Amino acid sequence: MSTDIFPSSPRRDLQGGVAWTMFGCIIAVLSWQMDRMVQQGATLHTAPGLWPGIVGTLLAVLGGVLMLRSWRRAQRIGWDAAEADDTDYAPVSSFALAAAMFFVYALLLVGRGLPFWLGTALFVAAFVFVFQYTGRKATGTVLRGFLVALACGVITAILVTLVFEQLFYVRLP
Amino acid sequence: MFEGLIAFGHSLWSFCDPLSLGLILLSSLVGVIIGALPGLTATMGVALMTTLTIKMPSNQALLVLICTYVGAIYGGSRSAILLNIPGTPASAASCLDGYALAKQGHAGRAMGIATSGSVLGTLIGMFFLALFTPILGNLALKFGSYEFFWLALFGVIIAGTLTGDDPLKGWIAGLVGIFTAAVGQEAIYAYDRFSFGSRDLAGGFNLVPALVGAFGFAELLMAVRERPAPVKISPFDSVIPKLKDVTKYWRTILRSGVIGTFIGILPGVGEDVAAWSSYAAAKRVSKEKDLFGKGSIDGLMAAETGDNACVPGAVIPVLTLAIPGSAPAAVLMAAMLIHGIRPGPMIMVENPTFVYDVVAMMMFATIGILIYGLTLTNLLIKVLMVPKPIILPIIFVLCVVGSYAISQRLFDVWVMLGFGVLGYALRRFHYPVAPLVLGIVLGDLMEKGFRRGLVLSDGELGPFFTRPISAVLWISILLVILLKFPVVTRLLGRMKRRAAPPTSTP
Repeated sequence: MSTDIFPSSPRRDLQGGVAWTMFGCIIAVLSWQMDRMVQQGATLHTAPGLWPGIVGTLLAVLGGVLMLRSWRRAQRIGWDAAEADDTDYAPVSSFALAAAMFFVYALLLVGRGLPFWLGTALFVAAFVFVFQYTGRKATGTVLRGFLVALACGVITAILVTLVFEQLFYVRLP
Repeated sequence: MFEGLIAFGHSLWSFCDPLSLGLILLSSLVGVIIGALPGLTATMGVALMTTLTIKMPSNQALLVLICTYVGAIYGGSRSAILLNIPGTPASAASCLDGYALAKQGHAGRAMGIATSGSVLGTLIGMFFLALFTPILGNLALKFGSYEFFWLALFGVIIAGTLTGDDPLKGWIAGLVGIFTAAVGQEAIYAYDRFSFGSRDLAGGFNLVPALVGAFGFAELLMAVRERPAPVKISPFDSVIPKLKDVTKYWRTILRSGVIGTFIGILPGVGEDVAAWSSYAAAKRVSKEKDLFGKGSIDGLMAAETGDNACVPGAVIPVLTLAIPGSAPAAVLMAAMLIHGIRPGPMIMVENPTFVYDVVAMMMFATIGILIYGLTLTNLLIKVLMVPKPIILPIIFVLCVVGSYAISQRLFDVWVMLGFGVLGYALRRFHYPVAPLVLGIVLGDLMEKGFRRGLVLSDGELGPFFTRPISAVLWISILLVILLKFPVVTRLLGRMKRRAAPPTSTP
């Protein structure tokens, strides 16, 4: 067999395999525990748990195959061998901040009593300002950056509300 | 045949009013911009437009969605050529030769080739859509529960095999999608499965928020994870397509159109596979093999024709079998159901003119991309220059609105977030997302087919394997799976070498 280097290392695949096997087993066990609906006249092949039980079992089996395959690959090429990844990644902190802002908007600013347009304007303005701050500071245009961010937030909020609610009669959160 | 042409003429005429023509122009424009913007996929675009068009009459809504779909697949070529960044995954193949041509100062010519390839590809696909849909629709009337079970499973297996580098991971993603479809009340006894007492979960996961999450939010997380590349666009020549490019490469156009359409028919495979397959086929037979990857007109034409021909191809199984040929086609199918249109085997019986309406919509969408292909360059460049920190939060707002508006439930926003995180994690661990989506779409059909089949046969598994169409399907599935095992491919290779005639040595 060739070196069979994949984008994902054998160690990563093994971790994935363990996760899928466990997940599949949990699905299978929960399906087994479901009501068989015997009093409604159900038989084995109409029981509610049959289908997810089969799916869970297959998932556990494929998870096991992935584990086995990653172990065998690891014997050939080593646990951490993977294709080179030349993607230029941003720092984890900036990714975490962006993700946090997405979640705060979707879970806290929307549908929680705050008007949609206000929550949207705040979110878009904050996101634009925070992620352009470094560049703006370097060029000494922080105030301009703040105004641009504010404008983006307000325009987005107004346009989305107008287009969805007024033009197409779609209710917003 | 003449009835079909007359019906097509009626359908064309029915869209020739100012409102419909305005919608065609607007939605094609939106589609092209969505396709051109890296971070926004055609699936996202169609899903967002589904939300916007919920209150519209069904024909107008579907017209908007189809124009957006066609526009988005075409629009991806713009950023591929100008920035070497595919606007949609379907345009990844166009980056190779499109950007190389741009670096040589021929960006305009490359865009003209992309326009002509996309227009002709869509027209070829449209021809097969009109030809095959009635035929496949009649064949689909012979399908029963057993056949639909195997067909749905075939779709997930094929999607897992052909998308991504690793079929095993594709099949795992497909199974996760099938499990997701099983959450909620099951069909026979309304028993709540995996709802853990939640009324929202008892209703199951809505398709549109799941798709917006898996393709929209996940894409945003990927975009945020990478450092933004500086955007630099060089001046370029005329974007008007040259007739000599079309006449010289007519074989490539026809071949790629046919390949793209047939790949579109395969469930869940999609435009990116169509583009790469057309590209690979063109390279194999081209007299200019050495130019591929360095600015080959042949290569760019093949990729663009193939990916756009896939769009009508992907709609064929939607209309006839209610099985999507691609992720955007899955959203299109969801939109049809929302608007009360029942795609599937009965469509040629219940609503035969609808098929010709769809062909007419494709025609108008093609005209839309031709118009914008010739005129939209400067505006698109301005859009492409908008910095990522401004585009990304706006796209996320649209993701939230798009998820919420379908059923007005905040739960759907949480579903979008959850599938976004899942889609991101799958991509980071190199699992393809398309089989997950197809599993969600086809899981219900698969389960219904399986359980109904068992009820009809009183628990016997025999009919699943012995009915003629079922037999063809399960044997195909088995072959697809077995051919991915190295043991089997080695054995076949040995058998082929033994069967080959011996070469004589001088």
